[in-house]
Amino acid sequence: MADFEGMGQAILDGDADKVAELVEAALKEGVAPTEILNEGLTKGMNVVGDLFKRDELFVPEVIVSAKAMKRGTEILQPLIPREKREVSKLAILGTVKGDIHDIGKNLVKSMMEGAGFEVIDLGIDVPTETFVQKALELKPHIIAMSALLTTTMVYMKDVIDALQEAGIRDQVKILVGGAPITKAFAAEIGADGTAPDAVTAADLAKNLMGLS
Amino acid sequence: MPESKGLIGGQYQPLSQSSIERIHQATLEIFEEVGFEVHYNKALEIFAQNGAKVDTDRKRVRLSPQLVEKTISTAPSTVVLYGREDKHNLYLEDKKVYLGTGGTAINVIDLETGEKRLSNLEDVRQIARLVDALDNIHFYLLPVFPHELPQEQIDVNRFYAGLANTTKHITGGVWHLEGARNAIKLASIIAGGYEELKKRPIISAICCVVSPLKLDKHYTELMIIVAENGIPVMVPSEALCGVTSPVTLAGDVLQVNVETLAGVIMTQLVNPGTPVVYGTVSTIADPRRMSYTSGAVEMGLINAAVAQMAQFYKIPLYATAGMSDAKLPDVQAGYEKLATSLLVALAGANYIHDSAGLLEFAMTACYEQYVIDNEINGMVMRALRGVEFNEDTLALDVIKSVGPTGNFFEQSHTVKHLRSEFFFPKVSDRLPRAEWVEKGAKDGRERAREIAKDILANHQPVPIPPEIDQKIRETISGIV
Repeated sequence: MADFEGMGQAILDGDADKVAELVEAALKEGVAPTEILNEGLTKGMNVVGDLFKRDELFVPEVIVSAKAMKRGTEILQPLIPREKREVSKLAILGTVKGDIHDIGKNLVKSMMEGAGFEVIDLGIDVPTETFVQKALELKPHIIAMSALLTTTMVYMKDVIDALQEAGIRDQVKILVGGAPITKAFAAEIGADGTAPDAVTAADLAKNLMGLS
Repeated sequence: MPESKGLIGGQYQPLSQSSIERIHQATLEIFEEVGFEVHYNKALEIFAQNGAKVDTDRKRVRLSPQLVEKTISTAPSTVVLYGREDKHNLYLEDKKVYLGTGGTAINVIDLETGEKRLSNLEDVRQIARLVDALDNIHFYLLPVFPHELPQEQIDVNRFYAGLANTTKHITGGVWHLEGARNAIKLASIIAGGYEELKKRPIISAICCVVSPLKLDKHYTELMIIVAENGIPVMVPSEALCGVTSPVTLAGDVLQVNVETLAGVIMTQLVNPGTPVVYGTVSTIADPRRMSYTSGAVEMGLINAAVAQMAQFYKIPLYATAGMSDAKLPDVQAGYEKLATSLLVALAGANYIHDSAGLLEFAMTACYEQYVIDNEINGMVMRALRGVEFNEDTLALDVIKSVGPTGNFFEQSHTVKHLRSEFFFPKVSDRLPRAEWVEKGAKDGRERAREIAKDILANHQPVPIPPEIDQKIRETISGIV
């Protein structure tokens, strides 16, 4: 019997070694990798997400928990083909051109991975063309953009316009975020949504995919 | 009325002497082993020429303990910042405390409408006039951003608006190199020449060090220009606990110490003996959003501990206190501001900025808040003044002569000491309820708004003499 509760606790404690140990043990017992991922890791990370939303856990703690969960998913991912995952969705993520801020973006990546997404991080200072190129190449379900400056958030619109021009705007859901991003701005530039923090962002991403 | 600025603090000392010395040793260790990055080639060269270990490819500068100690020893222990009127001069040294405004906010809460809107140049002028009339705001750090101006006009117009509308010392951040040069030119004309300005600087500049451990291109270029010109420059670190510095306050104080000393060292290598002010705007990150907080009580603790470090090095200090994360002048603004201002003033910080007018993570300036904060600052300075103790204030003879069941109203001793013993609030209401209701049952914010409107309607600051103003406009273009 796999110790799913133990995995949840280890994620809450941010104990990456313990997570790895329990995941390996479960695999040895013959538990299916998808079951370990869903019942052990994703469930554990959801608890973390809920506690964060209630202000009972804080960002550094969430980051550490996400890292612990990631140690587990790294073991499991090669064993699970993408189609078999509960959230078989791909997201590409990046901070827009001219902007080098990444802490929030990295947290969004962790939380989305915790929610079951596969996330490809394009990094910081990502040119508009790169977003479009990668979108054409990888065919993600979600494109998520981050900006911390009022001077760089304007590039989010450029990316959306470019995706429109490339004819693929309606094939993705676009999320935008960062300190200066408001709901009004997101609507104005034609994004599909924005969230004020990484946990809400991951929830929003799931909602946009029609998952709960 | 007793003096209420430049009073001596130092009563509150969160760090022990051994902690201070440990921080100094750890600082030398960081300078030697880790160093800091310098993203400006001219600065890298200056460090290299002066014996620092420079890795040009990685832009990393390391300093030996000897170099650190030798260089900071040339920083003057007294920096005098002048006002257009001498009564506003600030003697930054030791544990003398001054409180003043801060910036740069991008919004204001409009005095008439109460609505938040973008700030403009007129706000720089009006807030200057308001501050000119408020005695517990000792200097004018340019508070807001003039959104309507083209880029190249921002710096010189901000400084001009300040200099023209108050005689208090003007400090400002600068956006462009040409703007910095124009501001110095402007101040020189008012001072009666560049050499006169250097002797009696009526302006000073702020150039930040970036956390963790970095001198960036933009600020460092400006820092060097200001230092070369011998104008006082503040070189603060604005580390955010848990994000760009350790979450522990002690660790933050250590890192801030390294960073601001790196700025001090930069100025002293460029121009040994040039007036420089060691500084910090450090605070904690809010754990829920890891965002900047301006009203956290920990900001007061950090700045108080940093004050002790500045006193250890005998370099004047630019510190931060008196702000709030409230979005309007409400009860949160009251208690957050008083907490940090009291802690930092009692620690003996010299130039405590941001302590008037700001709300909402320092993004919004509010007219009536200047009046409220003037009151808070008055209370703080009264606290610094302490309990005056001598045979006269002991009142032994008075107590004996009044005796049991007498009263003290009629005593000449009472008349003699009343005005110096008590602080006289202007915003706080002490009326009995019935009278308070009769007068409109107003809350503190409303009373402060009335005072602000009254000042703006009636107060005339000493203007720049017309012939000097003419010379300014003939010499410098772009002044609105």
